[in-house]
Amino acid sequence: MLEAQLVLVLVGSALLCLGAFAAIVSAIGFHRFKNFYLRLHAATVGTIWGSVYPLIGAALIAITISELGAYRWFVPGAIIVAAIIVLMLAPAGSHALARGVHRARVARVKPCLADKLDPELCG
Amino acid sequence: MRRVSRGFIVFILAFTVYVVYTGSISGYDIVTGVIVSAVIGALFSNIVVEKPIKVVDPRRWLHLLVYALLYFTYYEAKAHIDVIRRILHPKLPVNPAIVEAPYRIESDFAITAVANSITNTPGTVVVDIDPSKKNFYIHWISAKTLDPLEARREIFETFEKHAKRIFE
Repeated sequence: MLEAQLVLVLVGSALLCLGAFAAIVSAIGFHRFKNFYLRLHAATVGTIWGSVYPLIGAALIAITISELGAYRWFVPGAIIVAAIIVLMLAPAGSHALARGVHRARVARVKPCLADKLDPELCG
Repeated sequence: MRRVSRGFIVFILAFTVYVVYTGSISGYDIVTGVIVSAVIGALFSNIVVEKPIKVVDPRRWLHLLVYALLYFTYYEAKAHIDVIRRILHPKLPVNPAIVEAPYRIESDFAITAVANSITNTPGTVVVDIDPSKKNFYIHWISAKTLDPLEARREIFETFEKHAKRIFE
């Protein structure tokens, strides 16, 4: 039992550390990329490794904490549902942003190899 | 009768989410969960489910599990490492393009699953979708090819294969 708890805490901590690293890299990418569409890719790093993975890590750690009492299963359950919702809705937000910006011609694709959707917005 | 079975599927899904979310099986939670899930099931029966038999097929759930494990370990790691390398590289090596790539799936659930899988891997974002030509328009951070079929193979052919087994 104790070994199982130790494994859960170690895996959970590893996921949390990965999340912290990914969040920082995502923030750096947000500043270094100068184009809207490239920033979307940096934001994706911050959503999946930066929030879904550490949420699952936090759930694994919460399972082992028996001091939570009546909330022992509420915390991991709520976290896992939150992780699944982020996983399904974050890309919907990215689609909406990308499609809206492209249709409204707010940002150009730059640098650009080709734009099959609207060649005028290339470059 | 069909509507009842559809509503029952939605009821089961909503109730599962409720129980997982609250993390308790006390009498109070069961009663409120059943009431709320029944209302949701009645309201959304015809929107969420088309063929109830597909939802209770255990092979589809097994495929979903296999796909989730593969996706979260291999595909996500590959894409994340690639984009993180580009972000931290001093010269910011990017080669972006919006490519078109045809998909060969029919159901809305499968198309959504594939589009979400593409967007959730860093490096590819679905910008637009053309249902009449069955094309995804994908912004790709390192466009290796502009050919539609090549792009399809590079980006989402495996996602599509799994989505087909799960949802169609």
